[in-house]
Amino acid sequence: MIDAALFSSALGALAPILFAALAGALCQRAGVFNIALEGTMLVGCFAGVAGSWYTGSVWLGVLTAMLAGTVYSLIVATGVVTFGADAIVLGVAANLLAVGLTSYLIQTVFGSRGTFSDPGLAGLDPVEIPVLDRIPVIGEILSGHSVLVYLSWLAVVAFAVVLYRHPWGLRLRGVGERPEAAASLGVPVDRYRYGVILVGGALCGLAGAQLALGNVTLFSENMTAGRGWIAVVAVLLGRALPYGVLAAAVLFGLAEAFGFRLQGLGLPQQLTDAAPYVVTLVALFVFSARVRARRVVTRGTE
Amino acid sequence: MTLHRAESADSAEAPAVELRGIVKRFATLLANDHVDLSAAPGEIHALMGENGAGKSTLMSVLYGMVQPDEGTISLAGQPMSFASPAEAIAAGIGMVQQGFALFDSLSVSDNVIFGAEPTRRGLLDRRAARAGVTELIERHELRLRPDDRVGDLPVGVRQQVEILKLLYRRARVLVLDEPTAVLTPAETDRLFAVLRDLAGQGHTVLLVTHKLHEVTAVSDNVTVLRDGRVTLSAPTSATDRAKLATAMTGRDVDLDRVYPPGRPGEEALSVRGLTVRDRGRTLLDDMSLSVRAGEIVGIAGVAGNGQNELVAAIAGLLESDAGAVLVGDRDISDLGVRDRRAAGIAYIPEDRGDVGAAPGARLADNLAVGFHRRPPLLRRGLLRPGEFRRHAERIIERFDVRAPGPAAPMRTLSGGNQQKAILGRELAHEAPVLLVEQPTRGVDIAAVVDIHTELIAYRDAGHAVLLVSAELSEILGLADRILVMYEGRIVARFGKDEADVNVIGMAMAGAAL
Amino acid sequence: MNNLRAVSFTVLAALLLGGLLLGATGADPLTAYWSIVEGAFGPDGIPDTLAYAVPVVGMATALAIPLRAGLVNLGGEGQLVLGAISAIAVGLQVPGPLGIVAALAAGVLAGGAYAAAAALCETRLGVPLLVTTLLLSYPAMSLAAYLVRFPMRDPGSSLPQSGQLPPDVRLPVLAGSGVTVGLFLIAAAAVAFAVVDARTPAGFEARVTGWGPRFAEYAGIERPRLTLRLLFCSGGLAGLVGAVVVLGFPYRFIDGALITPQYTWIGLLAALLAFASPLGTVIAALFFAALTSGGFAMERATQVPRELTAVLQAVLILFLAATTGVLRKRRRTV
Repeated sequence: MIDAALFSSALGALAPILFAALAGALCQRAGVFNIALEGTMLVGCFAGVAGSWYTGSVWLGVLTAMLAGTVYSLIVATGVVTFGADAIVLGVAANLLAVGLTSYLIQTVFGSRGTFSDPGLAGLDPVEIPVLDRIPVIGEILSGHSVLVYLSWLAVVAFAVVLYRHPWGLRLRGVGERPEAAASLGVPVDRYRYGVILVGGALCGLAGAQLALGNVTLFSENMTAGRGWIAVVAVLLGRALPYGVLAAAVLFGLAEAFGFRLQGLGLPQQLTDAAPYVVTLVALFVFSARVRARRVVTRGTE
Repeated sequence: MTLHRAESADSAEAPAVELRGIVKRFATLLANDHVDLSAAPGEIHALMGENGAGKSTLMSVLYGMVQPDEGTISLAGQPMSFASPAEAIAAGIGMVQQGFALFDSLSVSDNVIFGAEPTRRGLLDRRAARAGVTELIERHELRLRPDDRVGDLPVGVRQQVEILKLLYRRARVLVLDEPTAVLTPAETDRLFAVLRDLAGQGHTVLLVTHKLHEVTAVSDNVTVLRDGRVTLSAPTSATDRAKLATAMTGRDVDLDRVYPPGRPGEEALSVRGLTVRDRGRTLLDDMSLSVRAGEIVGIAGVAGNGQNELVAAIAGLLESDAGAVLVGDRDISDLGVRDRRAAGIAYIPEDRGDVGAAPGARLADNLAVGFHRRPPLLRRGLLRPGEFRRHAERIIERFDVRAPGPAAPMRTLSGGNQQKAILGRELAHEAPVLLVEQPTRGVDIAAVVDIHTELIAYRDAGHAVLLVSAELSEILGLADRILVMYEGRIVARFGKDEADVNVIGMAMAGAAL
Repeated sequence: MNNLRAVSFTVLAALLLGGLLLGATGADPLTAYWSIVEGAFGPDGIPDTLAYAVPVVGMATALAIPLRAGLVNLGGEGQLVLGAISAIAVGLQVPGPLGIVAALAAGVLAGGAYAAAAALCETRLGVPLLVTTLLLSYPAMSLAAYLVRFPMRDPGSSLPQSGQLPPDVRLPVLAGSGVTVGLFLIAAAAVAFAVVDARTPAGFEARVTGWGPRFAEYAGIERPRLTLRLLFCSGGLAGLVGAVVVLGFPYRFIDGALITPQYTWIGLLAALLAFASPLGTVIAALFFAALTSGGFAMERATQVPRELTAVLQAVLILFLAATTGVLRKRRRTV
């Protein structure tokens, strides 16, 4: 039931969610509730596959995914920051647009409906890490993932360093906590918000690339299947803290891998699909039961 | 009608800051109409005016948050223009905003360096930051520690963090917008001492305030704005409170109106041993008090000493951990907000825009809240729009609310009229007990007088009023009895006649009496 | 009036952008647009539009109900699917006209109870409603997917779908169209929402909560109870929509059939864009329904994939959202 392969597959499953959740956490820190992660990730999936297919290079595919994610997130950035539109409306609309756009493009670009896959499509190869891959169990778990999986871990560390050790992070936290105060200290709030949304777009692009070129090598309609929403939940569960988000994503990855394992034991896939959501929900209950002890004082004491 | 500017003491020296002919329009509103203001190095200059007189706009222009339509800014004789606060900061202007611009989750040191962070190899240099901040704290003899979290600090101390921020940025011109609104008399004195000290070192201080006695206490020169224009500009020594008040309001104001005492009857509200704790902190500590019909009991104290919690716990908005609340003989401790209101509590909250009203909704809807489950607004299970309108019109007329009509959104009313509308709605309940918080905050002087008169009339009609106010003068003017709160407890009680500003001030600061 | 002008301008701008997109794919934009209009409102198109409008208007209204109080129900899909599968389960057991009533009731109860569970998770356990509704949605969809593959599967078919309802447990079809009397049920729900919203204390209190949650609390409105009630109504209506859909052609639950057309998300956007006003929500939802059914016609007429109308629709929504944002911003600064 529980062995190294389970954890190894959990690491693959969590990487896309981790990228997307970091994107969400970054935005959250700057006071932008970004729920367009799902759609941006889906655009990343498509762009990654298209880029890899037309250039023949998986790396150019990954790059295309990042660029596409960044460009796509301009929608949310301009809408929310420049026009002051409601972030939820824009997020839902951007997600809808992503589904429509990718379904449309898969037909016009690849001429197929539903799914595109081809033996000639270059995917991400697993990387065997020297020395580490010799160690039993640990090597089996940690070695042999795509480069993007390792990059997602680095991204967590980078996020933490920037957030706590770099002037940008300090300002970002200020922008999220009290935008008008940050502005009065000469910090350009709108520019910071644009920045996080666009960087978040690039991260969602990476999430899509890992999903479509790492975990599998194909594009299919709506293939993100709610992972962007799980990332949104991971941001809330992890309170937009770098390692909190990591923990939440790990929980989800484990649940997904575990569900997959249960399928092997004969449980229908439709039921095990629900595992990540149920696990997340239970985690939220446990977590918030602890927080709930804190009574919400009805007004500030300032 | 611009009066001549007061010449600075040393006319050979260029003014540290000079604003000339500033004009700023917002849509149809002329917020600043050819305003002149100048202050010399080492001067404390007071800028006065009522809400909406254009003080904030003028300071926003100086700080680069708003671009003027006409006029010039010069610093030390050099013409300047600021496209953003960053440019104003770089030119040596620093501003402490009303309600502070601090980040509660960050340390004192991080707050101070925010936006001007020292770095080492690309990352924050926290050691250099702490050293710099410590050096400034010591030089100016402030009572601060760099590593404390700002959210944990008392309000008076936060004020010092704000000033520290300006000094860290080497600001030569310090703008303070209503800095004493949340301070005790002692903290105010302490702040003024710091300001005088800074002026002595050559800084220029612009003090935005509406408190007459502060102007006379600390400033060298004063400029008064009304309706966007300068109505008075003179050395402080050449003016007095009456002149300033007239310049602010455009008419003679009776500043020291004395109301007759109330005639207390039966006990209408009693609070027994009320206790509220939150995360290990005791916000309200075994609090007991009573208010009789026909009297106003005033709660004095520095903001954040449990006044909000006391009122919220009485109104049912905050769960209490122990104690009882009675209206007349009836124990309402177990009731929710709605049932408490039905049992005889009306409530005018401190926060007009968020708690007391819905700014985006129509005035009629705002005024209907609380009346919508009984006739005449409700008949045979259905609401009657015509009655909504008539109900609103009654309150608008009775309380002289200046509004385009019942269908106007609440936010289109001025602060004073919003407050009169809320006051009207709550008084219309004719509840035996009225809770009032900061009834005149952000309200122009004319409306202040109206509101005070209404509260006195409500008391004289035989109702009990519990008044919380940060304006000590308001408490002294209205209350029949005064209770002073400090750290969740009542630390002193005074009758109307035995009240003395200094003694109350000491009690507010927690001094044992 | 200003708002109307801004919105018309937005629609025009979006149409222009869509025209460019259409032109880029080689289609004649005018022909394409005309085929959309004809497909949506022409004599052949209206039944299609209505058939699509029933679920979209239903879901839009369902999601507008809590939105009136500022509560966002992101779990419409789960409530819709759960209502549909419950209606089928009951409809296959109870024969005759009673079966219709029982199936509809089962749909309402299942959707309502499920949404109410999400509400309780917020009010009792403190997990934000946005999250609980969303997270609960997926297990509901998984459950339905499982049921129609295993216990409830149509034995005569290889597809993941339930058995077909017997002829006497089907909603009557309106003469000459594929639309069932479910249309009236949904219309009645929308009217009821409008009346309750405008003319009852409960509706007023929901609006007050939407204006400001702290104002509502101050006024003595009990938020937990309000949340629970609104979510039950919301989920109940979503469940009713599910039941109405499966009690119409093809009289069975097909996995994915309620999700793929994006009824829920389009409905949510209609509600959000109309600020949950009852009439505005219905109008916005009808507009989107017409656009979608017109999209099918356009695909037939011009070979442009109908997904492009989904793109047009989303572009339009983005423009509208930006416009409302600007309007809101402008109002605030005055």
